[in-house]
Amino acid sequence: MMLVLPILVPLSTAAVLMLAPKRPNPQRWISLAGAVVLLASAIAIFLRVNEAGVQVVQISAWPAPFGITLVADLLAAILVVAVGVVGTAIAGVAFSGVDPRREAFGYHPLVQILLMGVAGAFLTGDLFNLYVWFEVMLVASFVLMALNRTRPQMEAAFKYVTINLIASSIFLTALGLLYGATGTLNMAALARAWPTVGSPGVHTVLAVLFLIAFSIKAGLFPLFFWLPASYHTPPAAIGAVFAGLLTKVGVYALIRVFTLLFHGQSPALVWLLLAMSAATMVIGLVAALTERDFRRVLSFNLVGHIGYTTASLSLLTPAALAGAILYVLHHIVVITNLYLVSGVLLRLRRTTDAAGLGGLYRDRPAFAVLAMIPIFSLAGVPPLSGFLGKLAIVEGAFSAGAHWVGGLVLVVGLLTLLSMARLWSDSFWRPAADTPDFASPGAPLVAAITLLSLITVAMTVGAEPLFALASRGAHQLLQRDEYIRAVLGEAP
Amino acid sequence: MELLLALASGVLYAAGIYLMLRRRLVQLIIGLGLLSNGTNLLIFTAGGLTRGRPPVLAEGTAVLQQPYADPVPQALVLTAIVIGFGLLAFSLVLAHRVHDTVGSDDVDDLGRDG
Amino acid sequence: MAGVLILSPFVVAIGAAWLVSRYPQRAGMLAVWPLAIAAFFGRELGGVVARGPRHVELPWAPSLGLSLAFNLDGLGLLFATLIAGIGGLIVLYASRYLAGHRQAARFYAWLFAFMGAMLGVALSDNVLTLFVFWELTGFTSFLLIGFDHERAEARSAALQALIVTGAGGLALLGAGLLLVDVSGTASLSAMAAQRSTIVASPFYPAIAVLVLLAAFTKSAQVPFHFWLPNAMAAPTPVSAYLHSATMVKAGVYLVARMTPALGSTAIWTSAVTAAGAVTMLVGAYRAVQETDLKRILAYSTLSALGVLMLLLGVGTREAIVAALVYLVAHACYKGALFLVAGILDHETGSRDITALAGLRRSMPITAFAGGAAAVSMAGVPLTLGFVGKDGAYDALQHAAAWFPWPLVLIVVASILLGLAGSLAGVLPFWGAAAPTHDVHDPGWPLWAPPVVLAIGGLAAGVAPSLLDGVVGAAASAAAGVPIDAGLRLWHGVTPALLLSGLTLAAITLGYRLRDTLRTRTWKAGYGTEEVYEGALALLNALSRTLAPALHSASLRTYVFVIVAWTVLIGGTVLLTDIGPSAAALHTSVAFHDVFIVAVIIGGAVSATFAQSTMTAVLSLGAVGYGVATVFLGFGAPDLAMTQFSVETLTVLIYVLVFRHFRGMGAISPGFVRIRDGLTAGAVGLFIGALVLSVATTETAPRLREYFAELGPTLGHGRNIVNVILVDFRGFDTLAEITVLATAAIGVRALLGLAGPDRSRQDAVDPATSPVFRTAARLLMPLLLMFAVFLLLRGHNEPGGGFVGGLVAAAAFALYSLAFGVQRARQALLVHPLTLLGAGLLIALVSGLPAVLQGRPFLTAVWPSGPIALGTPVVFDLGVFLVVAGVVLMMIFSLAEET
Repeated sequence: MMLVLPILVPLSTAAVLMLAPKRPNPQRWISLAGAVVLLASAIAIFLRVNEAGVQVVQISAWPAPFGITLVADLLAAILVVAVGVVGTAIAGVAFSGVDPRREAFGYHPLVQILLMGVAGAFLTGDLFNLYVWFEVMLVASFVLMALNRTRPQMEAAFKYVTINLIASSIFLTALGLLYGATGTLNMAALARAWPTVGSPGVHTVLAVLFLIAFSIKAGLFPLFFWLPASYHTPPAAIGAVFAGLLTKVGVYALIRVFTLLFHGQSPALVWLLLAMSAATMVIGLVAALTERDFRRVLSFNLVGHIGYTTASLSLLTPAALAGAILYVLHHIVVITNLYLVSGVLLRLRRTTDAAGLGGLYRDRPAFAVLAMIPIFSLAGVPPLSGFLGKLAIVEGAFSAGAHWVGGLVLVVGLLTLLSMARLWSDSFWRPAADTPDFASPGAPLVAAITLLSLITVAMTVGAEPLFALASRGAHQLLQRDEYIRAVLGEAP
Repeated sequence: MELLLALASGVLYAAGIYLMLRRRLVQLIIGLGLLSNGTNLLIFTAGGLTRGRPPVLAEGTAVLQQPYADPVPQALVLTAIVIGFGLLAFSLVLAHRVHDTVGSDDVDDLGRDG
Repeated sequence: MAGVLILSPFVVAIGAAWLVSRYPQRAGMLAVWPLAIAAFFGRELGGVVARGPRHVELPWAPSLGLSLAFNLDGLGLLFATLIAGIGGLIVLYASRYLAGHRQAARFYAWLFAFMGAMLGVALSDNVLTLFVFWELTGFTSFLLIGFDHERAEARSAALQALIVTGAGGLALLGAGLLLVDVSGTASLSAMAAQRSTIVASPFYPAIAVLVLLAAFTKSAQVPFHFWLPNAMAAPTPVSAYLHSATMVKAGVYLVARMTPALGSTAIWTSAVTAAGAVTMLVGAYRAVQETDLKRILAYSTLSALGVLMLLLGVGTREAIVAALVYLVAHACYKGALFLVAGILDHETGSRDITALAGLRRSMPITAFAGGAAAVSMAGVPLTLGFVGKDGAYDALQHAAAWFPWPLVLIVVASILLGLAGSLAGVLPFWGAAAPTHDVHDPGWPLWAPPVVLAIGGLAAGVAPSLLDGVVGAAASAAAGVPIDAGLRLWHGVTPALLLSGLTLAAITLGYRLRDTLRTRTWKAGYGTEEVYEGALALLNALSRTLAPALHSASLRTYVFVIVAWTVLIGGTVLLTDIGPSAAALHTSVAFHDVFIVAVIIGGAVSATFAQSTMTAVLSLGAVGYGVATVFLGFGAPDLAMTQFSVETLTVLIYVLVFRHFRGMGAISPGFVRIRDGLTAGAVGLFIGALVLSVATTETAPRLREYFAELGPTLGHGRNIVNVILVDFRGFDTLAEITVLATAAIGVRALLGLAGPDRSRQDAVDPATSPVFRTAARLLMPLLLMFAVFLLLRGHNEPGGGFVGGLVAAAAFALYSLAFGVQRARQALLVHPLTLLGAGLLIALVSGLPAVLQGRPFLTAVWPSGPIALGTPVVFDLGVFLVVAGVVLMMIFSLAEET
């Protein structure tokens, strides 16, 4: 029963919000309450999974593979906790002020629906159900993206919508063909049936289609243009959720299909993923170097670093996969944090373009030092979480014999350092015109940034248990037995 | 029949993609609609075609007589149709608003500011 | 305990920031801590001399290979004592130098953080943790160089240093990980024992190169030397501490530390020696060409680092001992000279040696410090500098086989260096005083540190045997074999002594010729800094081309790339793998089927080439109806009904929206259309082939039969499709209505936010014909009843919540056509949003009774009774409400008057 909570809680919250009075205060408080309950239920699930192994619930009580199964293994459980954390942060940040027009047209229920979609995607054990949760998440993101009036925002929203719709089409096409070829949609059952699907070529083609659909969502080269074209436009809190969670769903889907379904079946496909990831890393970071807008820099960094995780995934060893998981966790926290930082910049200066920034190190020392944590964690300065994640990935790559991947990660790491140092220098060090700030940062925003920064620091101190967790998760993913047995109830 | 429907799906996809590559917003949206239909047809066809018998039991019978159409792809397609409708309606209105804000219906005019 | 002390500066950093922000005038008190730990390290060093090294460990993250392991041996402790001791003096100095500075608190924080990191570098035993501290020194150096951040040159110098040393740092990480793999241990002290394995490994060249890259970047060896002079943009205490006494020595330390494990091979020796020699000469040469005090000192530091590298490269026992003595001596005199330069800057406002003269009368203490340091740097006997230089000459005398070229080079360099030291420490105080200077000795926190350092250099010079044990312990650690330092003041009349005398004479001569040397010697116009800048410029150019292409290209480009990529990869796989499966056409073809398919294809083609919006929309409608008919013909009545209704609705919405768009004519040039057409055609073929392949393969009928069997029994319904939708896969449906609801909210929001943009044209005027109105009034309740009927029968016959909701919405839509949207809204009684919320909640709640019974969510509960009413039907009701609400919301928003 517990497993449904991360989905039902935001749904109920959204429904209640739709019926509740439309004034800001009740909306924000209900939203925050819903997010906190979501976080609590996610933690409860995680503790259970940590202790007792893969947890499963068959919705509507029909056995797998006939009904829809919800499955929580370690990876899913940790990610759902991340959803709770990000959701709470965003709901809290709303108290700093949301555009009243957005609030009037459903900002809060939309955020809840978004969280619901993400949680559903992480927890489902049915591939078609995954598609439906993707759509939930996407349509909520579409509307949030489109809740604007300015031209750049409308244009960005349109590009975002169109490309994601294409990705959904590809996913759905693959699903339809998959059902036709296998007669089942349950992931565990597919794991067993995959090698025998159709004529040999078909399942590789289907695998390609899934790879492409998920790569679009994750933001891999050459399918990632929509991200830098759109992620810099929505308000900071929305950008934070998008960057922190939405792309990770794509990465999660890739992890799931590669470890559970394609398990060793398509080496060419793995190579393709690795090549795309490597290109993503390099191109993303090179492009980031000369961007003048804070949020554009973040978008490109986001893209490049997704490449880290998928490259590590493609190596498919426990060590490499553990590195990928650790990096994903680090990245969710840090990138959400950075978008919130950009939110503060927007409040202070009404722009995130470098021309309007500067002088913050002098004028707002406490905020500047606080912002150093996510900025330089992303850059990989030890001992912060970015360094730990990179270390784990490079160690995984080296132990898998893929030294060039490790080397590439280090080189791209240098580019990230350059990018973040420039960002810091331009936005904080460089003197600015002596005009007063437009508004104060706002306590809720600063509180959320502080909370996320503390989590980043905690990751450093708790590096050992965190990595141990990631390793266990990786092992669980690569030896699929526990998952399959939990769902289907028999030995594979 | 599979051949014909495969052909139809292929044509719908081709037409949809072609239209989505065009420069007018209207064409893009129409393309989305065609693509959506093509996908639905694809799911239905790939799931296996059975002529005639719907998977609905007649009053008083306890067992469905073979051959009957596979209900699962039908459920999937129905879900897809509904979701597709929601998304298409939204995209349509979004295109309308973009057209209003940007003042042009040329896709190439979107976001060229850099 | 030792571990805690080593890491303590990090904690003190936070405390320091707090202290200084509260009590700025008490900043000097902070010096106590570093001096205290310096004493501790000194004592430890004494312990090592007597008893040998000791290990300390604090746990961190063993699974990642990270452990806070420290090896307190002679080499590390020597460095640590210097770091802490000089650090304390610097803190004291800074308390006066930066007094009153707004950002002083942060200065101390970064300084102490640096100190902690540097101690970590010196004492770390785990190679990965060494990297952590290494990068931290680079990062804190970045913050400190950029302390005066409002100056562009400070910022760019900081960035440059960060990147150059950061690159080296990452090289160190790579090398470290390789070493761990090859040697099987992460402990530096244990690696020495694995030397033969390491050197024999195929990774050895890579490891050696990477480690040397790290060392050379950090210690500013040619070609990576250019960042050091630029780093002089930092405040003088920082320059004195980081960029002469400690951080830049880290590379030297690394080479010394790694020599037992990696050294004595051709690659290693030649690289280190060559880099050292070149740097030594380049630094010394440039030093005498500068006029800015700090730059003179910077270049001379560069040269000194080169000397150290050269000596380590030569690697004999004498050379190692000489290097260590030279290092200590250099730390003392260079630190003193920097601090003196800072005092001069602070007091006179100038750092230009051509402007400063004769200050010995007004600043006697400072002059003493400067003079003593210069004397040590020149290598006058009775200074530690002499002991170091003498040892270096001696060591290099026996270095090369056929010609002692290192010796020649070092003599030349030493001459220039001694001159540079005099320029910095003697020249400003000598000669006639310029009349404009009205200065005096500064406060004691400013003059005490350089004096202490200068005296240290003298004292150790007079009695070098005091350092004997310490240096011996350090040298032993560096060499891997026990070494007796044998430091004495007088070795007899050796060639080295004669050369020292020669050097001093030459320095005096050079001092006379200083102006000629400065102005008339050749200055290179192009160096490695330009290469670095060029590389960065290239990267920037690349970036500027890439970034706009990535985020500002046309949407169509993105779509094209995605589609092309899909077809390319998918098609390739399809062609290479797929076998020609006999296209077993299972189902027969009837004439009407061909007709339907023709309609579909025709509609698609027509939509593609349509010239008017209306034609396109109607063609789309035709396609939709054709597909619906296919559904009908192949046993999917529910599907057909839904498709018909949805398609009608879609066409309606298209019409409502597309009123505002004009024209459909093609704009793109012909070649683009052909390219797109071919791509689209490829997609079509690809899809068609896939569909055919999949549709003609037999699949296991498991799900189908299961549902067919259990549907009527446990599912309590005869319409299997509906049973699947609201029971078996009800969870999908729940999510799906959420999608719908969200889309509707989106439509409403988009149109609502449009506000004043929307013209009056948007409004759809109600039809005013009374006949129509009467018909509408009659039809509406009938349609509503029909809708409910469809809902209720859905579980057993074609129908269900979706279709029911659509019909219900159609009823109100009809009403709004007749009477206007306002009246229709009133007739509805509630806002469509309420229907959405209520519908979602009802659907959600229908899944809860099962939970109360202890079963999974959404399990069907059928209470026994006369009417077959169970939770799935309630669920369907929820679906009904949501669908009705969604459609109404959309139609009302679209047709509404503003």
